[in-house]
Amino acid sequence: MATLIIDRFDGKKHYEQSYVLAPADVSGKTVLNTLLFIKQTQDPTLNFTASCRCAICGACGVRVNGHAILACDTKMDDLIATYGSDTMRISPLANFKVISDLVVDWEPAVENLRKIHPGMVAKPEFSMKEGCRQTQAEFDRIKKQWDCIICGCCASECNKLTADNRDYMEPFVFTHAWRVANDSRSKDPLLHGKPAVAGGLWNCVHCQECANRCPKGISSADDIAALRAKVMAKGMTDGVGPAHAKSFYTDLVEDSGRLNEVRLALRTEGISTVTRAGMAITLMRQGKMNPLEAFGEDPVEGHAALVKMIEAAHAAAKE
Amino acid sequence: MQTEYAFFPGCVLTQAAKESRMALEAVAPILNITLREIPGWTCCGASQAQDVDPLATLVANARNLALAEQMGLPVLTSCSTCLLMLRRAKAELDGGQKDRINTFLAKGNMAYKGESEVTSLLWVLAQNADALKAKVVKPLNGMKVAAFYGCHSLRPESALGFESSVNPSSFEKVVHALGAQGVPFDKRLDCCGFHAVYPAEKSVMLMTSEIINSAAAAGANCVVTPCPLCQMQLDIYQDNAQELHKSKARVPVLHLSQLVGLALGLPAAKLGLDYNVIDATKLG
Repeated sequence: MATLIIDRFDGKKHYEQSYVLAPADVSGKTVLNTLLFIKQTQDPTLNFTASCRCAICGACGVRVNGHAILACDTKMDDLIATYGSDTMRISPLANFKVISDLVVDWEPAVENLRKIHPGMVAKPEFSMKEGCRQTQAEFDRIKKQWDCIICGCCASECNKLTADNRDYMEPFVFTHAWRVANDSRSKDPLLHGKPAVAGGLWNCVHCQECANRCPKGISSADDIAALRAKVMAKGMTDGVGPAHAKSFYTDLVEDSGRLNEVRLALRTEGISTVTRAGMAITLMRQGKMNPLEAFGEDPVEGHAALVKMIEAAHAAAKE
Repeated sequence: MQTEYAFFPGCVLTQAAKESRMALEAVAPILNITLREIPGWTCCGASQAQDVDPLATLVANARNLALAEQMGLPVLTSCSTCLLMLRRAKAELDGGQKDRINTFLAKGNMAYKGESEVTSLLWVLAQNADALKAKVVKPLNGMKVAAFYGCHSLRPESALGFESSVNPSSFEKVVHALGAQGVPFDKRLDCCGFHAVYPAEKSVMLMTSEIINSAAAAGANCVVTPCPLCQMQLDIYQDNAQELHKSKARVPVLHLSQLVGLALGLPAAKLGLDYNVIDATKLG
């Protein structure tokens, strides 16, 4: 027998409820069909959201054993194989406020989406009369991100949102900011990039959960990285995040080719890095940091050739 | 069994995580693994340089992989972020970027062919768990280990793909082969936050604290991780994070290679246990 332990909420209290199902009632079914089966045959009070049943509308995101999935796009048989058990816990998406059982409140996330202006503002050369066209190649550059169905699976597992959502937005919000900022028809990428920075673009912890859980194979982590590059190229280079990333690049290309940990702190935080003096003393006491490295190191073997390769890549990219 | 590898140490193994390299170089010969350091390897970008210039970073990693190919060996790294960056570069190159990037590598008379696979210490040990077990002279009986995978050992599965990212078992298999007991703990698959410790310090300190508390609540004698970046975050920042969150729990954090070394009977000094910030010498 299969057992689904469902995390429920009646508006006042959170509790769990187990539903036992015959193997034949889960075999060949999606998670959504299993939830519908429970609602139809065992418990009409069970609440969840779903609409299209074919992975287009994004309404049926839930967690199974703590990992977000699209219920209509996930088979029970596959989950049983993955976990080696036919007992599993179904919960509402994490990092959202729960309204009822598996139903969550989307309004704060949608509000964040509004902040980055997901609608394209066209360049002045376009007009109602002339239209607002782009080539197939231009569309192809952003078509993956258009696949986002705003199901919330990325947001559910985002470790940064779990730690603190006050200085970070849902990963899919950054994906849409990237998408519209990189639309060939967009007037100003910073119209979307600036609110993305204000919404925590540099606070991503690189946990890769968003990329891992997206049912459409979109990597918001990659979009965040690419949007960072975009806003820096447009002059938004202030702050600890850009300085930290830049220090890795400087060591790789302009200095030895390898990270210099002593310079990393100085380059990232400047003189305010003295607040980390205690940490530096700990590292030196433990023999983990050599202050002499502040003076730099010799380039690694073949570094001059690497620089030539990168210069050639930059020249080709400009063409 | 593959016994010889082109070794990609990654930057931190030569600096703040030097004990990881000490331990790895101590255990490798006992396990009949020969590590040949890739001459002239550069930083993989650490998922940071990619934010500045993804093209330059792809070129650098194509060069790193091409250097390993010149040695005729698969690449082994014991840093999970290096693992992810190298594997992603390889996937991009093999997925259609090879010819374009090779026009740039030609400036240094090099070419990427796609001949060297990229693997990690954890994966090699898990694939050879029986051979590892046979080498154990001091089984870690009674030691309770919180096996902390770290994000870039598992996610995204599309780039790493060694095992399920939601129900992995390679680490527990290795821990079991060493005679230790892997303890279940809530935060086993979570992120340590290392990559955002500067821009998102408050969140990262909370994440670090919760991982340590979770391991302590499970009764772990130590946290062990295959990634030196996770180790650094959970070890170097542990005191700060715990003081900030008013938690008394302190748990030693070992590199995977250090745990292996203990079971192989190597002395604490050879495994660099005295370099760990939270006292780990008592485990030796």
